[in-house]
Amino acid sequence: MEKTAIIYSFNTAKTAQAARLIYENFSDKNIEMINAEDITGEKFLQYKNLILGVPTWFDGELPNYWDEFVPELEELDLNGLRVAIFGPGDQKNYPENFVDGIGILGRLLEERGAELVGFVPADEYNFEKSLALRGDKFMGLPLDFENQASKNKERIIRWVNQLKNELY
Amino acid sequence: MSANKKYHIKTTDKSVLERWYRLMTLGRALDERAPNYLKQSIGWSYHAPYAGHDGIQLAIGQVFEKNKDFLFPYYRDMLTNLSAGLTATEIILNGISKATDPASGGRHMSNHFAKPEWNIQNVSSCTGNHALHAVGVARAIRKYRADGVAICSMGESAVSEGYVYEAINGASREQLPVIFVIQDNGYGISVPKSDQTANRKVANNFSGFKNLRLFFCNGKDVFDSMNVMSEAKEYVKSTGNPAIVHANCVRIHSHSNSDRHELYRDENERNYVAEYDPLAKFKRLLLRYKRFTAEELEDIESETKEIIKQAHREAMSAPDPEPSSVFNFVIPEPYPASKYPDGTHDFKGEPKKLIEALNETLKAEFRHNPDTYIWGQDIANKEKGGIFNVTKGMQKEFGKERVFNAPIAEDFIVGTANGMSRFSDRIRIVIEGAEFADYFWPAMEQLVDTSHDYWRSNGKFSPNITIRLASGGYIGGGLYHSQTIEGALTTFPGIRVVYPSFADDAAGLLRTSIRSRGTTVFLEPKALYNDIRAATPVPDDFEVPFGKARIRMEGDDIGMISYGNTTIFCLEAAERLRKEHGFTTRVLDLRSLNPLDEEAIMETVKKTGKILVVHEDKVFGGFGGEIAALISEKAFEYLDGPVVRVGSLFTPVGFNKILEKTILPDTDKIYRAAIDLLKY
Repeated sequence: MEKTAIIYSFNTAKTAQAARLIYENFSDKNIEMINAEDITGEKFLQYKNLILGVPTWFDGELPNYWDEFVPELEELDLNGLRVAIFGPGDQKNYPENFVDGIGILGRLLEERGAELVGFVPADEYNFEKSLALRGDKFMGLPLDFENQASKNKERIIRWVNQLKNELY
Repeated sequence: MSANKKYHIKTTDKSVLERWYRLMTLGRALDERAPNYLKQSIGWSYHAPYAGHDGIQLAIGQVFEKNKDFLFPYYRDMLTNLSAGLTATEIILNGISKATDPASGGRHMSNHFAKPEWNIQNVSSCTGNHALHAVGVARAIRKYRADGVAICSMGESAVSEGYVYEAINGASREQLPVIFVIQDNGYGISVPKSDQTANRKVANNFSGFKNLRLFFCNGKDVFDSMNVMSEAKEYVKSTGNPAIVHANCVRIHSHSNSDRHELYRDENERNYVAEYDPLAKFKRLLLRYKRFTAEELEDIESETKEIIKQAHREAMSAPDPEPSSVFNFVIPEPYPASKYPDGTHDFKGEPKKLIEALNETLKAEFRHNPDTYIWGQDIANKEKGGIFNVTKGMQKEFGKERVFNAPIAEDFIVGTANGMSRFSDRIRIVIEGAEFADYFWPAMEQLVDTSHDYWRSNGKFSPNITIRLASGGYIGGGLYHSQTIEGALTTFPGIRVVYPSFADDAAGLLRTSIRSRGTTVFLEPKALYNDIRAATPVPDDFEVPFGKARIRMEGDDIGMISYGNTTIFCLEAAERLRKEHGFTTRVLDLRSLNPLDEEAIMETVKKTGKILVVHEDKVFGGFGGEIAALISEKAFEYLDGPVVRVGSLFTPVGFNKILEKTILPDTDKIYRAAIDLLKY
């Protein structure tokens, strides 16, 4: 198995909960858990596969810890890196910017050469606009803790099974 | 997020980053210190903290160019002002309302920072009210081909105000160089933005407005804000078109020190917004990308503390406003009108109708001063010049740049006049405030604000505007074409109110109004526009000083004090009293209500002892009450009877002729009241 890490902020609640569930559903216990608040370019480049926890803050913004990494990210060569992104979002109260964070970071990663995997169909969600939308799919896994919390577990299991094929 | 990367943590010059950090730490120190002044009972009783808006406020101030652009900050814009060049001392002088506060000399509420001499405008507390002023001054920037833009800053809730829509519509229609910056922190005091508008980003409400470009940025992020503001300014300058910059901010603290956000924001939310502290983020970036060492930043922070201490000392020792200064700058000195010091003449030419006198005077004044402008609803289309044709032929002679129609938006008409006159003290603006005085009410918030400007700015800005209003009834107009609204208008210090009855006085007062600094509401008795009774000879250069009443008939037995339509009725009633009873009447035409010719009123009381105050407006609450009170206070001993008022009933004006006649005063009612008083 190629070197894989799940990167998310350890200071979060929902994102961390989802990260743990993702970790548990992978049979590979060599996957590392890394705090996004300490991420550096050097660390980023140590992995072939990354699973990133990217919640959307406010009306369509990256959280500080990802946003502050962007200037460094903009200079990395990410060719050969495969990245899957999951992220909490609220489709009812923020329908105009639903999981924008996934799209913002996803595009930046692609621009640097990374390959995005783990796209999921958008038809299970009810929203107006999203920067994470590409065609009829999201560029990662949206998790709506506010309005569809009961679906999170099933969605994560399904997504992890998908990633097992796409990442390895 | 901006695609423009002009400013970037890795490439922006270190000296620029240092300047920003100094401004941001200074601003935040003042923001956090401001409540202490209230706790110590020194002042600053109103403080709206800006923490969470740091990125966009820094950017607004940085793109603003003194004496070139016009900046309209709102009450949360402390860092905007610092970034635009105000010193910490000037901020504190405003906060604790000192006489040397550059915004208003302690007259305006704290946290309303300004420096008019640099074009940082002193604005109202009415949220978003200055959007119309920004559009008005942008109209002048375009007309005079000046190298600048207007920047209007406001919160997202201000955009709920109808006049903000009027302003943005006007900028879009006229293609004016305005940047509307919407600082969106999600709340209007305690009201979440979902209670204001359906779109979470209110700028999207304007996506269908032509010629208007929308920009979005993270107002908490210095680089994104700088990039978007500079891009927006370049766009507006290069195209001449307006833009909106929608900046997502957070409000880390309560709305102000009279608000407690704990009552409506839970701990999670408060922590969430505090976590995105823009200053802390900027500092982390400076360190992470090794642009500064921790020691360098600490040095700057220490220096900031010293600056604040010094500023505090300077501001505390500054003088307070003097009680005797309260009457300074209520309204500017008017044009002296010295050719006709009493506002009378003995010219014997052909009588002219009132409407002709107005039209000819307007044209003469537009020839006299090339910096005169007129706009209003329906005032300029080929042969038409207003609903009554008062401005007929003006657009043809002076062109569409100086004479033009306004949209049906009375507040816009007044607000943009206020704004345009900010460009230069030379400019004189005449507006038809509404098609009829009855429709002026939507403009009242702008009128009230305009009435404050000269005083509030401590004499630094005078809106030089003549507001013409076709007023009054007697045309079978019913409720909405008969109102005369001087009773309300005369309650505001800071504006003059004149109400002529005859053609010559209309011409003379209009000339004086247009030539004067300050704002004059010019009420026109529209029933007399073409009435031969109001026609008089009019000298070409006639001018009437404000506050000079005119004796229209001399007599001893009774005095009638009037203005507008009813002066004519008084003269008719007086003639009947003479013919039928041999009584002589002194008819005093006030002409100016504010300023008021108290001397002429007192003379009339002393001469006659019996006073009838006559006006078209309602007796109850009408301006006559003020005259009656003045007489009883200052000339009681000269009275031989009660001061009697004749005016409208306390009802709206009915449309049916029978109703109109019942409600409005007329010659017969004046005659009967005079007989009763003479018998007293």
